[in-house]
Amino acid sequence: MSNTQKTRQFFSNVFASKALLWLIVALVLINGLFPVMWIFLTSLKTEIELTATPITWLPQQASLVNYQQAFSEQPLLLFLGNSLAIAFLSALLALVISIGAAYAFARLALPKAGLLLVGLIALAMCPPATLQVPLFEMMRSLGLLNTWLALILPNAVLSLPVCILVLVAFFKSLPESLEHAAMLDGCSRLSALWRIVLPLSLPGVITAGTLAFVNAWDEFLLALVLNAAPENRTLPVGILFYQGEFTFPWPLISAALIVGIVPLVVLIAFSQQRLVGNLTAGGMKG
Amino acid sequence: MISPRLRHSGALGRSDRLLGLALVTPAVILLVALVAWPLVRIFHDSLFALRLTDQAPGLFIGLENFLYALEDRDVRRAMWVTLGLTLITVPGALVLGLLLALAGNINFRWRWPIRLALLLPWVLPMSFTGMIFAWFFNSDYGVINDLLRRMGYQPVAFLLSPGWAFFSVVVAVTWKTSSFVALILLPGLQTIPQSLYEAANLEGASRWQRFCHVTLPLLIPAIVVALIFRTLSAVQTFDIPYAMTQGGPGQATQTLAMLVNTVSMEYLDIGYGSSLAVLLFLMSLIISLPYLVHLRRSV
Repeated sequence: MSNTQKTRQFFSNVFASKALLWLIVALVLINGLFPVMWIFLTSLKTEIELTATPITWLPQQASLVNYQQAFSEQPLLLFLGNSLAIAFLSALLALVISIGAAYAFARLALPKAGLLLVGLIALAMCPPATLQVPLFEMMRSLGLLNTWLALILPNAVLSLPVCILVLVAFFKSLPESLEHAAMLDGCSRLSALWRIVLPLSLPGVITAGTLAFVNAWDEFLLALVLNAAPENRTLPVGILFYQGEFTFPWPLISAALIVGIVPLVVLIAFSQQRLVGNLTAGGMKG
Repeated sequence: MISPRLRHSGALGRSDRLLGLALVTPAVILLVALVAWPLVRIFHDSLFALRLTDQAPGLFIGLENFLYALEDRDVRRAMWVTLGLTLITVPGALVLGLLLALAGNINFRWRWPIRLALLLPWVLPMSFTGMIFAWFFNSDYGVINDLLRRMGYQPVAFLLSPGWAFFSVVVAVTWKTSSFVALILLPGLQTIPQSLYEAANLEGASRWQRFCHVTLPLLIPAIVVALIFRTLSAVQTFDIPYAMTQGGPGQATQTLAMLVNTVSMEYLDIGYGSSLAVLLFLMSLIISLPYLVHLRRSV
């Protein structure tokens, strides 16, 4: 047995072992969860404990006082409400528009359909940083600066292509005979879409909606530029304002971050099974 | 698309085609108003000397903004930061993402914690990631320095020296985006037929050989999609360094997207900012072109 063969043999033995499996699982869990875990632990520590050296890993006296203070020092509840409303309404608008468009692409012979679809996707792949100034001037002249709508519109638009691609794939996977049967029974195209196609493609609709929601929840640059007024800030922008000029209240910031992460964990719990399988149908942003 | 048979059978009448156009129109209008029109504006504004505070229309100066950008040291530095981030974090996220996808594909009884570990970095906002890693890499109270001390090394002022700050941003971006890569690759892994592995097994292929000759080749299409989207978002990097280092120390972690923001919204130099935005747009267009061509062929 040559040396390289021996090495390979060794590795295949190692890879086959149960111990390695556990090691891999542990590494994946640490990689994915440790940073958020660490912020959670920080959020339970007092400012005094935080500046102790050597640092403590587990909080000595875990307390929720940072959460209390995070809500009182900045209008965290307001940020949370803004973020939830803007992300939800962005996703809803993106869904309504992309369901119609995706159905047209999947079923109704559009002229130059391929070119049109690629054109729409090309547009929406444009970096938000390039759009910030024209969007700022547009929203200012429309009187929409510092309103929810100023963020809902671009958020929805930038999620459109992903939603359309996911939904086109779903609509195409359904047999068209279903709609024909419904139409023979007197349904119009639209009511067949509403009554037959949509309920059957609910997993696709949920996937597309989740993608749009996550995109809008994450959006930061446009929220910073178009929505700087305190009463309309979203969470990612609002959290910046805990910092003073020279102070960095990490326990408070950590508590606020955890508050912003909880809805995401709920979202994962709700849609993880569908999400993992359906995501690639549309490709998405990283 | 619709089959030729149906098209000729008259199942798709004129009214269907009109309905199709009506259903696409809202998407087209919104994209034209909120993306195409702004793009026209930045191309237009990039040819002018224009400030946000000006009431009068700016002065037409042709390509002078672009010529100035070529010599601007800030632009050159931001280009290098953006390029460096892209060239390091894209392959980095691909390798880490592939490992995560392989791990996620293991048939394991406790799927929920693993799914959470795979999905959480992906749904975590970029700006949150920046703040979390700023705390991780904190000189005095960061956990990374605590680990270094415990292992007997000197602590490092990660975010205070240009090289280490760039390194820290690279780590944060790679961590955050590897989970996106894993989520694109995971379904690709799951569609590889088990029979191929069994056949390779019969021929005596080792695990490593099976990975190289079965898994990897069949995963190429998913890898290409992940690479294009990842590269595209790397070129646009804004949130993570903004929240983590504010572009500092100095301008060591300032990307092109951050410079567009600074020049336009802080210096209020709209003409020059637009020319930088045009450069950023052209960079991302070049990267997305292969994907768009591929998409055009497949629809």
